[in-house]
Amino acid sequence: MYETVKASINLHAILRNMEDLCQLDDASAEAVGDRHVSIRFSVPEIDRLVLTFRNQSCQAGRGDEIPYNMNLRFSSPEHLNLMVEGVKNPIPTKGFRHIGFLKDTFTFLAGQLESYLKPDHEKAATDFDYLKKSTILTAYAALYAVPEIARYDETGRKLAGKIEDGIINVTVGDDFGLHLIAEKGRLRTIKGRSANARTAMMFDTFETAFGLLNGKLDSYTCIGLGLLAVRGRVSMIDNFNKLLGMVPHYLS
Amino acid sequence: MQRYQYPKSRELFERAVKVIPAGIPGHLGPASGCFIPVSAYPFFCERAEGTYFWDVDGNRFIDYMCAYGPNILGYNHPEVDAAARAQIEKANCTTVPAPLMIELAELLVDTVDSADWAMFAKNGGDVTNLAMLTARAATGRKKIVKFVGGYHGVHPWMLDVGYPGVLYEDIENIITIPFNNVKMFKRVLADHHGDIAGVISTPYDHQAMNENHLPADGFWNEVRQLCTANGIVLILDDVRCGFRLDLRGSDYHYGFRADLICFCKALANGYNISALCGAESLRPAISSVFATGSYWLSAVPIAAAIRCIEILREINAPQIMKEIGDKFADGLIKVADEHCFELRVTGERAMPILTLGNDDSNFLLQEWVAEMMMRGIFLANHHNIFMNCAVSDEDLEQTFAAAHDAFETVRKNHPEMYR
Repeated sequence: MYETVKASINLHAILRNMEDLCQLDDASAEAVGDRHVSIRFSVPEIDRLVLTFRNQSCQAGRGDEIPYNMNLRFSSPEHLNLMVEGVKNPIPTKGFRHIGFLKDTFTFLAGQLESYLKPDHEKAATDFDYLKKSTILTAYAALYAVPEIARYDETGRKLAGKIEDGIINVTVGDDFGLHLIAEKGRLRTIKGRSANARTAMMFDTFETAFGLLNGKLDSYTCIGLGLLAVRGRVSMIDNFNKLLGMVPHYLS
Repeated sequence: MQRYQYPKSRELFERAVKVIPAGIPGHLGPASGCFIPVSAYPFFCERAEGTYFWDVDGNRFIDYMCAYGPNILGYNHPEVDAAARAQIEKANCTTVPAPLMIELAELLVDTVDSADWAMFAKNGGDVTNLAMLTARAATGRKKIVKFVGGYHGVHPWMLDVGYPGVLYEDIENIITIPFNNVKMFKRVLADHHGDIAGVISTPYDHQAMNENHLPADGFWNEVRQLCTANGIVLILDDVRCGFRLDLRGSDYHYGFRADLICFCKALANGYNISALCGAESLRPAISSVFATGSYWLSAVPIAAAIRCIEILREINAPQIMKEIGDKFADGLIKVADEHCFELRVTGERAMPILTLGNDDSNFLLQEWVAEMMMRGIFLANHHNIFMNCAVSDEDLEQTFAAAHDAFETVRKNHPEMYR
């Protein structure tokens, strides 16, 4: 089951992040250029992901109904995980003319994404723009990973089952926010803050969020120092935070 | 009314986090203690007396948390402290225990209705764990039934998977069912016939974060009968309620008799000691369990516990706290109503939990508790509070005055509620 959870995170939290990478990172947008490639990732046991690259942007979609012009098949969740680690190659079954995009552009984008998700801390200390982009992409990766853990991981399902129905806001200052909708033990992550949250986790700055998401700070200390605030249904935040704490187990 | 500020608390906290993980770990800290927002709360205490404590910034609080229960007679109670001081002149932690230990055991056996013996430890979790081991030793069975929301300490079996460090293997013999649900309990008995060693429960459902629920009519009698019929040890975790509802034990209060009963918080008015009392039939089992600790038989807390229990008996402390709790709840409900808030007070009046109607996010409750805090009234937005015997009518009047002010402020901050 570990490989399945990890693969679902790799697909729907990490690779999904190409969408935001192309918005935030000029080099990535430029690399996509005016090409139009829609790559479908087909992994057994996991919802399909389609990444549609066009007009210097990327759009991520989930499910079987999204059009694509290249299909990458994986024999197992582990196969996908090994591809993400750069150990194995996918099996293209459609769209052979886009192999060049896969080898060059997609590989470049993956490298760019990795540079933000495994950040250079020295650079982050002096380059706020880099720190901010890294924080946003890491936050998306972590918070899109949470619903996957809640769905596929045994402990995750138990924790998600304890989260009351409602909305959890996660924000950084006034600049950035997303929310998770909890409903009958399932979670969905949505970009942007909600006006109807039952509970909220609020980072004061990108620096605090960066430190917490990269394991340099701990949430208990940050709460005491007033760098991280929570309010609302504490039991929701408590179980959500335990789910969030499981993310590094799959991404390390 | 002037609102409190806490510059020295903040300064100390910044010093603390450098050398102590999380600064103040556990339930006394700002994270687990749900200090929302943290800016409204003091972090460090300078001194305490009666029902008050003063923080390091010189702010005085009427403290309705009572250190989460230990303060029952009033902080720094002169007679309890004198007993402790007298003992420390003689001996505290020694290679063989002081005979005072026997005196405390005799006092507990005389006081607690279901107690034929008493054993001592330090914290509530020590004795709930000891009770679980005793149930298994007595029955030769593995499984323990507990109830949803029941807090019994921080040993892995008392928690759940998802808590960092807790494994499935730690809880595979724990069955959790809803409180007050005899039907479910009967189903568990049928599904695990012959496997259940013990049932552990608090006297009523006093879980954190939610309204509390008293036992339904007949619940405890039925559970008692089913435990007896199936050879299951009935463990009452009276750590939080013990001596606040009835000095004879909370099982006596609700009309049944537990096999094992766990005490801690109110036992010695703040000195660190816990006790497990039990039925004669379990004496051989508990004698066989290997359970000990470096400070479990230290004499100073034992001396304090003896004097504390004597005073609790002399003054009929549960009756006093019930009366204070009734005045507190009725008065606050009235104040809330005057400001168009529905304050809900559930659980026993000596240790109720406060919630607000039409507040399913708890935002309003958290704001109101924070406003109370900054006016010198220490409550909780997530946990039951505690009465103590030192609360005076004047303290209650000050509490109500602060509540007026705090509700008014919350109301002004939420004009949308009154459109």
